Amino acid sequence: MTSRPSAPAFADATKAKGEAFIEVTDVDKFFGDFQALKDININVGKQEVVVVIGPSGSGKSTLIRCINRLEKHDRGSIVVDGIELSDDIRNIQEVRKETGMVFQQFNLFPHLTVLDNIALAPRQVRRQPKREAEEDAMKLLERVGIPEQARKYPGQLSGGQQQRVAIARSLAMRPKVMLFDEPTSALDPEMIKEVLDVMVELAEGGMTMIVVTHEMGFARAVANRVVFMADGQIVEVGTPEHFFTDPQEDRTKLFLSQIL
Amino acid sequence: MTAVETAPVPIRPGFVTWVRQRLFPNVASGVVTVILTPILVYLGYRAVMFVAVNGRWEVVSRNLTLFMQGTFPRDEQWRIVVQILLLALALGVGASTAGAAAVDRAREAGLPVVKQPLSQVVRRFWPIGLFVLVLLYFASTLTPWLVVAGALAAFGLGNTARFLPSRLRNLGWLLMTLLIVAGFQVVSGTTGRSWVMSAMLVAVGVLVAFPLDGLAPRARLAARAGMALLAAAVVFGIYTLIPLEGIGWDQWSGLFLTLWVSALAIILSFPLGLLLALARRSSLPAIRVLATGYIELIRGVPLITLLFMGQYILPFTLPPGSNLSSISRAIAAMTLFTAAYVAEIVRGGLQSLPTGQNEAAQALGLSASKAMRLIILPQALRAVIPAMVGQFISIFKDSSLLYILAINEFLGVRSLVHAQADFRSIAHAETLVFVAFGYWAFSYSMSKESQRLERRLRVGL
Amino acid sequence: MTSTRAGANVRPPFWRDVRVLRVVGQILAIVAVFLLLRWLYGNLVTNSGRVGFDLDFGFLTQPTQFQIPNHDEFNPRSPVWQMVLVGVKNTLLASFFGVIVAAIVGVIVGIARLSQNWLAAKLATAYVEFFRNIPPLVIIVFFAFAVFLYGPLPNLRESIEIRAPGTDHNLLTLSLEQWGIPSIADNGALVWYALFVALGLVVSALVWRWRTRVNDETGAPHHRLLWSLGILLAILAVGFLVLGEPFRITWPTLSENRRRLVDGFAISAAFISVAGALGLYTASHVAEIVRGSILAVSRGQTEASNALALSNFQRYRFVVLPQALRIALPPLINQCLNLVKNTSLAAAVGYSEITVLTQASIGNGRPAVPSIVILMLVYLTLSLVISALLNVVNRRMTLVSR
Repeated sequence: MTSRPSAPAFADATKAKGEAFIEVTDVDKFFGDFQALKDININVGKQEVVVVIGPSGSGKSTLIRCINRLEKHDRGSIVVDGIELSDDIRNIQEVRKETGMVFQQFNLFPHLTVLDNIALAPRQVRRQPKREAEEDAMKLLERVGIPEQARKYPGQLSGGQQQRVAIARSLAMRPKVMLFDEPTSALDPEMIKEVLDVMVELAEGGMTMIVVTHEMGFARAVANRVVFMADGQIVEVGTPEHFFTDPQEDRTKLFLSQIL
Repeated sequence: MTAVETAPVPIRPGFVTWVRQRLFPNVASGVVTVILTPILVYLGYRAVMFVAVNGRWEVVSRNLTLFMQGTFPRDEQWRIVVQILLLALALGVGASTAGAAAVDRAREAGLPVVKQPLSQVVRRFWPIGLFVLVLLYFASTLTPWLVVAGALAAFGLGNTARFLPSRLRNLGWLLMTLLIVAGFQVVSGTTGRSWVMSAMLVAVGVLVAFPLDGLAPRARLAARAGMALLAAAVVFGIYTLIPLEGIGWDQWSGLFLTLWVSALAIILSFPLGLLLALARRSSLPAIRVLATGYIELIRGVPLITLLFMGQYILPFTLPPGSNLSSISRAIAAMTLFTAAYVAEIVRGGLQSLPTGQNEAAQALGLSASKAMRLIILPQALRAVIPAMVGQFISIFKDSSLLYILAINEFLGVRSLVHAQADFRSIAHAETLVFVAFGYWAFSYSMSKESQRLERRLRVGL
Repeated sequence: MTSTRAGANVRPPFWRDVRVLRVVGQILAIVAVFLLLRWLYGNLVTNSGRVGFDLDFGFLTQPTQFQIPNHDEFNPRSPVWQMVLVGVKNTLLASFFGVIVAAIVGVIVGIARLSQNWLAAKLATAYVEFFRNIPPLVIIVFFAFAVFLYGPLPNLRESIEIRAPGTDHNLLTLSLEQWGIPSIADNGALVWYALFVALGLVVSALVWRWRTRVNDETGAPHHRLLWSLGILLAILAVGFLVLGEPFRITWPTLSENRRRLVDGFAISAAFISVAGALGLYTASHVAEIVRGSILAVSRGQTEASNALALSNFQRYRFVVLPQALRIALPPLINQCLNLVKNTSLAAAVGYSEITVLTQASIGNGRPAVPSIVILMLVYLTLSLVISALLNVVNRRMTLVSR
């Protein structure tokens, strides 16, 4: 549909557009004896939108959760905007300030109003004064289309509205990259579109995004690259057109035949 | 066959139908009814005779003061009266502030506001009301009537805090804190080390009342520190300028002591219990083992053994010269005991939260302590309020164990009553029924409140 | 941004390293607790030294110096460790009977609360709401003072004697100080009879298994309860005849001067106060657990059972009760634990269980610290044993359900 400003296609997993913003090198992750990530190598460039697809248990969620240190990778290195994720708590904090995450279960804070949910992190972490934080929060609510819900509690909102609030909440920290972990999987079908519209608008505005999803329409519309993972490994990478019209690997073909 | 029009059957079953359905639905049930009814009638008859006719209730009416306040010096009774009035006022302020704050929040969120008529509130606490009426019945002077009337008036006066504008809502909490502190000091006096605790409470009240959100963070920190110190200094100043001799804890007894011991035990055990719960869930094995060891140890032994420890061992483990009264030791033991149970309750609350909450907080960059303070704890604590009320009831009942340590709380005061020549060997049943009734009235009301809260919390959040 | 730059595994400075902080945090916690305990212990030693107390356990072999009422085989010269054993035995005795009372009364009241009969349901509710909301100590004291000590029962000398109908001996004697119940006396071969009883139990268990297998294989009703009980009673009867009356029943009788109870078994007022009161108190909790567990078995189970044409009785026996039991068992065992701990309340009425004896011993000058340590160890052991039992039962229940 719409094309992104200056977006040449890539087929190679490790090459990224422009400056590499996130570099994942030789990463392994174990849960006990089970290996969730095997030898992951991928770079994500500035303003790039990468969509990760794959069957359940393939490690897609684990991968993005490693990028903001919700999970700890066991081998290899992950570097976000020049900061390496290690055991240094200051590094971890910095990386978390720069990455925003949107969860499948929304995870809004039920005891705070919508406005407070969005303004909380800027006030506490970036030490913004209350009035400024609330003004910025209102602007974000307008951007995602639900300014009238500001004083309501999350329990009063529909699923689609809650997820949009969750997106606004992550955006309030002005992250440099947004991570989406199956953002529409818990929504009723009629609400998926409103969330995807917000995500498309974000992508067109130039945000760097890594999105784990099953929504192929979204991938086709805005992704620069599509990554297919299975059994903890990256199986195939390519542009959306290449991916859906001419997949190379058998595993990819099998998966696509099941979902398309 | 043409249809016959019959008169509509009444929906409410008549008395005979009711008897048939509820008392004799089948043979077995009928037999049960037939056996139970005469037993019930007999027991009811004996009970009524005991309460109204045969009971030697002068044992209660002549010793009412002993039951209520034990051996508290008679000429200092005014302190207790003033305390009751101050606490009633504080309760009024607190209840109305909480209610008004809830109404504010609901209104802003666009939720419907449901007002509870006063009569319904009164009906909820009918056992306590009944107990107060019984006390008034046994009263031999006019004072208790005046005190009850005064307390009701004070509560009503406190309710006017509802009319504070919403921006000043937090002043209500500060006022409540000040009143409670004043109520405590009126009896225990302003000399001695109690000013430290009062200063802390007042400082906390001041901090809650004035969040100072508008300031930049560093200025805000400085301002709040300054305010807390100022509040503490003011309290200290007042205490030095207005020295009020107090009545030491050793002389508190009767129902008065029972209420204060339970309240102090639950309040003091809360921070310790919270720490233990967090420690038990910690990912650091050493801390987790220490906390678990403490909790399992305390939960495995009866309270009486800890009270013995407090009586016999605690004085020896403190530096020579520190003199703890018997009641202080008992309160310390009860605090340590309750903390373990509070820890388990809080741990349950923490476990009931979905892990996504912590992850969302972390993903936003909130540090672990901030996430705990702003996200996890508010939700977890709100969820365990019913269980905490249950624990308070437990502690209230367990305070009767002080009787075994020869401390004369509500149950123990009986030994003083029956030490009198007139009542040495008679009227034991009457005093016990009276004491049991007092415990029952309070416990029953509180447990019904806790059940109500639980239903409301499950529906609401 | 002063964070460490990207590179091959750069070690962060140790004051920011998460792993270092974890280890340091734990070391600090352990050190803090250790220092606190050491300070407390140090004070204890200093103060004890000044006052002249011992802190070791040597006192256990010294004579007790007081008599335990109602225990004729114990005298003030017996060593303290024997006193401890007597105390533990009495604690277990009171707990055992308390649990039996609580179980029987609790189950009846719990089921009554669910009954359709309005009277039964209301009475049961009143029972639960009454006993749950008063302290157990008040109930114990009520029994001890209002029923026994100053109550309506007569003195031992004028005990109420309830005769067994048609005979001239008593079934029960009631008085302020003791109640007399029938007992079993050895006629010379009681030990052998006990072997017969054991044999009977083993055989009847085997019969149970056999009948279950017959039912599985042929579908004939097993009647295993009737078979097992029948065979057990048959073996007991045979044993009785073969050994020629190995025991006899003794009925409670007052002595000539009516000062003592000879024959029969005397239970002290204090024991009845503790076991009976705690039984009634715990029964209210048991009733609630029973009721809650039956209600917790979901409606769908009832509907499925009805769809399968099971009768009401069959539904309860095969579907509802097994599941309810599984749900109820952990809180029931917890109540059992509570009852054991509550026997310590006997300190108010003088029943000689371990807490009372410890208090008396300390009053007699024995060192407080080791005595209380032993006391707490006793209860901890009992708690651990009961909790371990709970774990075993829980695991077996879940295994069986899989």
